[in-house]
Amino acid sequence: MRNRRAFGWLALLGLALPVWLVAQLWRPDPVSAEQTAAKKKHAHSGAAQACATCHAAEATEQPFTPMGSTLELPDSNPVVLKHSFLTTRRGAYTYSVETKAGATIYSVTDGQRTIALPVLWSVGANAQTWLVEYEGRLYESMVSYYPAIDGLDVTTADDVLKPETLEAAIGRAETEAQTKSCFNCHATHAVTEDELTLKTMQRGVTCEHCHTGTVEHLTAIQQGKSAGSAQASTPPSLGKLNAEQISTFCGQCHRTWEDVVRGGTRGTPNVRFQAYRLANSRCFDGTDSRISCVACHDPHRDLTSNRTEPAFYDAKCLACHAARARNVAGPQREMPKQCPVAGSGCVTCHMPKTKVLDGPSEFTDHEIRIVRTGAPYPN
Amino acid sequence: MPQQLGAFLKRPKEPVCLRARQGVAGIAVLRPQVGVWIVLAAALALPLPARSQADSPGSFDALVSAAAGARDAQDFPKAIQLTEQALKLQAGWVEGWWLLGSMQFNQNDFAGAEVALSRLLDLDPDSGPARAMRGIAEYQTGDFATALSDIQRAIALGAANSAQNGMLLRYHEALLLTRNNRFEEALTDYGFFLKAGKSSDELRTAMGLAGLRVPLLPRELGRGQQEMYEAAGRAIAAYQAGDDAAARLQFQDFFQRFPNVPWSHFLYGYLLYSADSAGALREWRREVQVSPDNATANSTLAWALLVKDQPADALPFAQKAESLAAAKPMSQMILGRALAETGDLDRGFAHLEEALKLDPDNLEVHFALAKADSLAGRNLDAQRERLYCLQAESTRSIANAQP
Repeated sequence: MRNRRAFGWLALLGLALPVWLVAQLWRPDPVSAEQTAAKKKHAHSGAAQACATCHAAEATEQPFTPMGSTLELPDSNPVVLKHSFLTTRRGAYTYSVETKAGATIYSVTDGQRTIALPVLWSVGANAQTWLVEYEGRLYESMVSYYPAIDGLDVTTADDVLKPETLEAAIGRAETEAQTKSCFNCHATHAVTEDELTLKTMQRGVTCEHCHTGTVEHLTAIQQGKSAGSAQASTPPSLGKLNAEQISTFCGQCHRTWEDVVRGGTRGTPNVRFQAYRLANSRCFDGTDSRISCVACHDPHRDLTSNRTEPAFYDAKCLACHAARARNVAGPQREMPKQCPVAGSGCVTCHMPKTKVLDGPSEFTDHEIRIVRTGAPYPN
Repeated sequence: MPQQLGAFLKRPKEPVCLRARQGVAGIAVLRPQVGVWIVLAAALALPLPARSQADSPGSFDALVSAAAGARDAQDFPKAIQLTEQALKLQAGWVEGWWLLGSMQFNQNDFAGAEVALSRLLDLDPDSGPARAMRGIAEYQTGDFATALSDIQRAIALGAANSAQNGMLLRYHEALLLTRNNRFEEALTDYGFFLKAGKSSDELRTAMGLAGLRVPLLPRELGRGQQEMYEAAGRAIAAYQAGDDAAARLQFQDFFQRFPNVPWSHFLYGYLLYSADSAGALREWRREVQVSPDNATANSTLAWALLVKDQPADALPFAQKAESLAAAKPMSQMILGRALAETGDLDRGFAHLEEALKLDPDNLEVHFALAKADSLAGRNLDAQRERLYCLQAESTRSIANAQP
């Protein structure tokens, strides 16, 4: 009897062990689960879902793009959910970013005193900076998370700040205008009639951010208005803009050529401003759609998947630089030249990855050119 | 009014060449001093007249010696007379022209001082102290355009390098810039005083005049006129001190007390623009409501809308500005740009070419041409214009460039 019982337990164990092992192998990674949760939260937010009813191809993936998730709350922020504790030291101050139970605390200490502040928003889908409030004022964190180092470093352009007090070490205090400007690009409906409307804003760049009149259009559709009036409410087509107009449009947040020149941003910091860099390219033609921002980047698609592979862009370059490419510029201009070195991987040579001031952030230089060894960064 | 020079001539060890008297305002009232004399003499390395021949009455040396005695005795009319006699004998006596000009200046004989200092500047055009003093003498006689030119040249020659001289000269420069309709530059100069912690009713009134674009000096205002300008100056000062909240309250108070004052909303917009372009646009829209025929306000509003990529919104203001001031390159540029960016490239180019003809070096015109060329597919022209802008930007600051 005792033997039978023992056999029973062994049999049960024999069955349970493989099941447990399989369960362990198949169990989703806890981080992935949190990220998935975050994505789900995004997918169900805003008007994207409503837009997806008719515009599924555009609206389904867009919330997951870097633009779609360029502003996060701590409880849906994949970076802090994955890195529950981040820390670094800068000068006399030690910074840490700790996440527990859906709340993230940003702290700075000089060893004597500590200022700990809840993170209100996380800005940026790749590199990430945090916004905190201290004594009624919003601050951009002095340190940011950079995927390239999988850790913290000084926030881009804040290396000039040399804080002498713990309060100053929090980061860059934002003016009201800076706050508006910040949210205007990282969120939707954050500024209404020149007033900051954070209570009603939608996180990230949603359909309405770019397509003005989306709400009216949705309302017309939902109210079952006639096809004619629904058609009349359709937001203006951005697809009809030429390369120069698209550069200006995208440049509202990514900076236009004119913004950068006016601001006097020289050197590698301006590699972040793609419209500026692109316009400096010899091949940029304001009327040729093959060189517009959207020729290479569909804003509704996630750039972080296979679209970061150099091969993805070959066809875009060869649309002009191939023997059979059409010369839209007409006979008075020379045909774009074909590369004598290679017929693929164009961007690896002609659009090199460039670090901002040799820091941890790196951007693709959109000034398309023949890069000479040892040549200085062209401004 | 200038003070007597005599008191300073007794204080030969003063280290600065011009000294700002700190009045209630904390703002300089001209007070040249003997330091000028010392610095100038050293700078010019003038050989002092030889004493060996000094004893014959009526000789140059005897006159110089007698003039020095008269100055020591504070008998300035006599010292002036003797110095003039000495200069008749030796017109190349640079130090003598300086002494004569300084004494005349301190006797409130500004016209006389101008003549003496002009003779000195004929001999040494790069004398910063002499040019500074002549500039302020010209300010006193009402020759505002020449005064501004002299003071700016003096500043360029280093006459404002000490803190007190800097205050004195920059204050006069700001007053004269206002008087010569160069209001934005005047406001920049006044910012220098705020940074130095200076404040007074007179300074605020002067700032208010520049801000509201009234080409007058505070002393030219009639009774009861100061209050409004002083209130405007107070709001400007709050803004320039970086206290946005206080500035907003001050401007709100101003708009309530003095509604519909021309240029007041333009002023607030101008101050806001670099940090809060949306706020600036709001104020400029109000300005064109208050003053629909203000060409500058219309063109500035149109320009700011163009920079924000709102050409359709900009077009009516650009058209209005051009109808009011067609001869201004900015009017042509802004209308040209608005037309080009709303799709009317042919008419747009016509106005841009006109703007280029009127003001070939204006960077805004080249910005507009770069964009219009790009929109028209004129790649090489667009690249050339962009290159021009980049090169121009690298040689001068255009961070706050405005039409």
